[in-house]
Amino acid sequence: MSREPVDTRRVDAREKVTGAALYATDLHPDQVAHAVLATATVGRGRITELDVSAAAAVPGVLLVLTHLDRLDLQSPGFIMGGGYGVQSMQPLLDDRIAYRGQAIAMVVAETLTAATEAANLVHAAYEQEPFAVTLDSPGVERLSQPAAIPLPFLADLDVGDAESAYAAAALRVDATYDQPAQHQNPMELIGATVFWRGDTLVVHEGTQNAGAIRNGLARQLGIDAANVEVISPYTGGGFGQKNSLQIHIAPLALAARRLGRPVKLVVSRTQLFHHTSFRPASRHRIRLGADEHGRMLAAIHEVEHQTSRHDLFPLMYTEITSRMYGVRDFRGRQTFARMDTQSPGFMRAPFEQPAAFAFESAVDELAYAAHRDPLEFRLANDTTVDPISGEPFSSRHLAQCLRRGAKRFGWSARQQRPASMRADDGSLVGWGVAVGAYPGSIVPSAAHLVAGADGRIRVEVDGHEMGQGIRSTIAILVAENLGVGVHRIDIVIGDTRVAAQHLTAGSWGTASTLGAVQAALRALREQLGADATGPVDLAAAVRATGRDHVEVRAETLGPGQTEQDIERARRGHPALSGPEFPGYSTFSWIAHFVEVRVEPSTCRIRVPRVVSVADCGRVASPVTAASQVRGGIVWGIGASLREAGEVDPRYGGFLNASLEEYPVPVNADIGTLDVDFIGEPDLRFSPVGVKGLGEVSMVGVAAAVANAVFHATGVRHRRLPIRIEDVLAGASPPA
Amino acid sequence: MRPFAYTKVETLAEAVDALVAAGPQARLLAGGTTLYDLMKLEIETPPAVVDVHRVADLAGFDTSGDRELVFGAGARMADVAEDGRLRRDYPALSESLWRAASQQLRNMATLGGNLLQRTRCPYFRGGEPFACNKRRPGSGCAAREGLDRSHALFGGSEACIAVYPGDWATALVAFDAEVDVLGPGGARSLPLVRLHREPGDTPQHEHTLEPGEIILRVRVPATPAGRGSAYLKIRDRESYAFAVVSAAVALTLDGDGRVDECRIAVGGVATRPWRVPAAEQALRGNEITEASARAAGEAAFADARPGRDNAFKIELGTRTVADAVRLAGSRAVA
Repeated sequence: MSREPVDTRRVDAREKVTGAALYATDLHPDQVAHAVLATATVGRGRITELDVSAAAAVPGVLLVLTHLDRLDLQSPGFIMGGGYGVQSMQPLLDDRIAYRGQAIAMVVAETLTAATEAANLVHAAYEQEPFAVTLDSPGVERLSQPAAIPLPFLADLDVGDAESAYAAAALRVDATYDQPAQHQNPMELIGATVFWRGDTLVVHEGTQNAGAIRNGLARQLGIDAANVEVISPYTGGGFGQKNSLQIHIAPLALAARRLGRPVKLVVSRTQLFHHTSFRPASRHRIRLGADEHGRMLAAIHEVEHQTSRHDLFPLMYTEITSRMYGVRDFRGRQTFARMDTQSPGFMRAPFEQPAAFAFESAVDELAYAAHRDPLEFRLANDTTVDPISGEPFSSRHLAQCLRRGAKRFGWSARQQRPASMRADDGSLVGWGVAVGAYPGSIVPSAAHLVAGADGRIRVEVDGHEMGQGIRSTIAILVAENLGVGVHRIDIVIGDTRVAAQHLTAGSWGTASTLGAVQAALRALREQLGADATGPVDLAAAVRATGRDHVEVRAETLGPGQTEQDIERARRGHPALSGPEFPGYSTFSWIAHFVEVRVEPSTCRIRVPRVVSVADCGRVASPVTAASQVRGGIVWGIGASLREAGEVDPRYGGFLNASLEEYPVPVNADIGTLDVDFIGEPDLRFSPVGVKGLGEVSMVGVAAAVANAVFHATGVRHRRLPIRIEDVLAGASPPA
Repeated sequence: MRPFAYTKVETLAEAVDALVAAGPQARLLAGGTTLYDLMKLEIETPPAVVDVHRVADLAGFDTSGDRELVFGAGARMADVAEDGRLRRDYPALSESLWRAASQQLRNMATLGGNLLQRTRCPYFRGGEPFACNKRRPGSGCAAREGLDRSHALFGGSEACIAVYPGDWATALVAFDAEVDVLGPGGARSLPLVRLHREPGDTPQHEHTLEPGEIILRVRVPATPAGRGSAYLKIRDRESYAFAVVSAAVALTLDGDGRVDECRIAVGGVATRPWRVPAAEQALRGNEITEASARAAGEAAFADARPGRDNAFKIELGTRTVADAVRLAGSRAVA
C-alpha cells in the first residue's frame, strides 16, 4: 500500500487555537461550586483568632473550610522527600503559619464572585514570629547537602584535587553570581475541577504528574489509589510548577464530598506566587583555573540556594558544570539555606539555568584573562569523556553546535576587545556565546495500542501534554512507523485510567514515551503478522485476524532499571535513571550566540538576534522542537534581563506578586531567533534516538546575554536580572 | 469584588444626577481598564458605579482647530493615538498614548479615565498587609523604608511617595492643557496641572474634582511647538510597561536655531504630572547641542529627592530629557 505523507504539524493545534481543547478548569459540570482561598498576611506565626462569620454570611456561600474544622487529611509528603506534594506542609490543618500567602481558609460558594468576596472577609489575627526570606536575612539556617541528605546522587562531587590545581593555576577566576527567585507563571493558572462518582474521586487538573496526584490523594484522604482518577489531557504550560500534588486538591475533594457536588478552584495569578513552587534564589561562587595557554585545569563550584523550613529542595547544580569541559579536577559544594517561604521547586532548567549563568560567565572571564576568543577557548577545552565518571558520553556534538552556530551567527567578524563594536545608530554592540547542558534521563513507560478494523489506531500511553508537543511526537512516530495518517491516530495521555502517568519533566518525556510506543508498535506488527518495517494496511490486517480490533501492551525501562522502578512509577513516585548509565553518560547540549545592543545614553539593552544550535539526538517533531527552543531562548532572555521575584524582608513572601509587577518578556523584546539542530540520533541512550530538549534550550542563554553585555560595555554583570541601572552605573560619564 | 449598584446613563445631565444621588464614594466607569482591576483587588470598593461609556457628549475629539485641540473625555486612547493630524503636528501627544498599556487596553481605555489612573505602587495595590496611607489613611507608608525603585523623586511626602503613572497627562501638562468639568454646580475649567494633588498629609485625595463632577474634555492650546515635540518613555521592557522615566518635550527654534518656545515635563518620577520650568529655562535661548540638552536634563532633576533604590533615575532621567530634547529639536527643524 502507499504511505501517506506524514503531517508534522502540531496535531492539537486546531483544538487549541479554536478553544475546543478543554483544560481542567474549562469544565463546567452540573451544579459546580466555586472555591477561593483566603491567605495569611504575616511572614510566620500562629493564628490566634479566625473569624469566618462574615464570609459565611455572604449570600451563596456554601462552605468555609479552615483548620478549625479538623480536616481529616494527611500530609502528602514532599515530592523530593519520598512523597507526592509540592511541599510536605498541608495548609488548613493547624494554626501554624509558615509563610506569608499560606492558605488559611477555602471558601466555597455558588458563584466565583460570592466566593471571592467571602474569601476577602475571612478575618484572622496572628501571633507573629521572626522570619527570614532572603539569602542575606538573619535567621537563615544553612545545611550542607550531603550531611542533610546522605544519598549518593546528592553527594558533593570531588574529582582529583581541585583546590591544589586551582591554587597552582597560572590563570584564575574567582567570582560570585546571584540568581534571584523566579516564578514559572504558566499561562494556564493552577486549578482543578473535582467531584465524586460514588466512592471514586475524579480530578481534572492541568498537571505534569497525574500519577502523583492520584497516589498522593489516596495517601492524604486515606483511600485506595484505585478509587482516584486523574484526567489531564492538556496542560497550559507546566515548566515544573505542575509537577506534583498541589495543596488545594485534597481540601477540594473534602469540599466536594461534603457538598455532594463538583467543586472548582482556579488559583489567582497573584496568589500563585505564594501558593506553589518557584525557582529558589541561589548564589554561586565559581573558581576556575587554567594554564598560561588557556587549558582549563580546575573548577570549583560552591552554591547555596533557598529552601523552606519544612522541606529540603535538593541542589543539583554541579551535575552539569562538572561536565561542560574537559576539566580534570572538579570540586562541588552544595548548601541549603532554609527560610520562611513555601517550598521552592523545579522551574524549567531548574539547576542548569542558574548554574550555566554562573559557570559560563566565569568561563568567559577566564577566556578574556587568557586573551582568547571565547568561542575558540570553549572549543579548545572540549571533551569526549565524562570527566566525573570517566566513561564516554553516549553522544556529545557540542563542538559541532558551536561551530555551526558561529557560522550562522557570523562570529568571525567579532572584535575581541570589549566596547569596540558599534551599530549605525551609535549603540554599543556585544556578541556573546555560552553553552548549555542538561542530563539525559529515562523513566519507565507503558503503552497500550488498539488497532481497529476501521483503520484507526488508539494510543494510550504514559506522558503529559503541556504544550511541549508530546502528542505530536507520538502521532508522528506512529504515522511514520505504520504509514497511517495522523488523523487516524487517537492519543490518550495524562490519564490515570490508561497508565500510571509518571511525572513528565526533566526532558525525559519524549524519549521515555516514544520508547514505549515503539516497543508496542513492534508487538503490534507481530500480532498482525506484518513485516518489521514498512507501511501496514491496518484495516485489512486487523480484519484478517477475524477480530474487530487488535490490542497490544508494552512496558519499557531505562537502562539498568528493574521491575522495582515500574512499581515505583505505579505508586506515583519518580523512577528515573541517568545521566550516568552503565558504560556511558548522556546529556543534551546546546550553544547560544547572542547579539545585544546597548543604547549609549539610556543604556537600554536590546537583543536583536539569537542563534542556537542544539544536540538533542534525533529531532522527533521538527515543528514543536523548534518551538521548544524558541521558547527556551525567550525564557533565557527573561531570566537575564527581566524576571525577579522581589522580596521586602519586612513582610515576607514576594512583593511583585502579579504579572503587572513581575516583568516577563513581551513580543517587542524578542528579535530574530534562529534555531538549528545537529539531529544525530543517540541510539545508545534511546531506541528512538532522541534526547531531551525542552530544558536544555534555555540553559546558557542568560550567560550568553551577560557575556554579550560585557562585550558591548566592558563591564561584567554577575547578578540577574541585568537592568538599566546596572548598565547605567558602569556607563561612561557623558561627554 | 464587592457587590455594588450599577447605573448606566446616556446623557451628561443623567450622569451628574446619578453621581450626586450615589454619593461621594461612587465611581464613574468608562473603559473600565483601571476601575475593574482595582475593584477585583478590593482596593476600590465603591457602593455605586455610574457607567458613562455611552454618553455621546463625552465621545469624539477634534485636532483640526486653529486655536485649540479638543479631546472628549470618552474618546478611546487608541483612536486618538492613531489620529494622523496628531501624529504629524503633536507627536508627543500621540506617542504618550501609543506607549501606554497594550493595544487591547488602549482600545477600551478613555482619555478622561486615563487622567485619573491610580498609582502602581505595589504596596498600594498589594492590599493587606502593606502599610499604605493612600489605601488606608493613617496606616503608614511601606514604600518609604521599602523597595522604592519605582517611587517618586518629586512631590513626595512623609505620607506617600507613590508615582503618578500616566503618560498622557505628563505630555498634556507640558502643553498647558485645560480640563473642562461638569458638576451639580455647573461647568468649570481648570488647568490640567491643578487636576492632580500632591500627596501631602492626605494621599488618599488624588485630584481636585468635587463630588459629583465629571471630566468633559481636555483642551490643548494650539502651538507650533507641537511639531517639534517628542515623548520618550524608558521602561523595563519594550512595551506594555509603566515608565521608569519619561520625558515630554515640545519646542520651537528661532531663525538662528535657538530654542524659542520650550515645554518640558517628566513622568515616572513624580507624584503628579510634573512640569520642569527650570529645564525649560535652561534650554530657552540656546542652540540644541549635546551640552545644552544635557544641561536641560540636569536642571530637570536638580531638585530630585531620591530614596534607596531610585537614585539611578536622576542620571537616567537627565539622559532621557536630553535625548527627548534632541529628538524634539530634530523634528522642529524638519
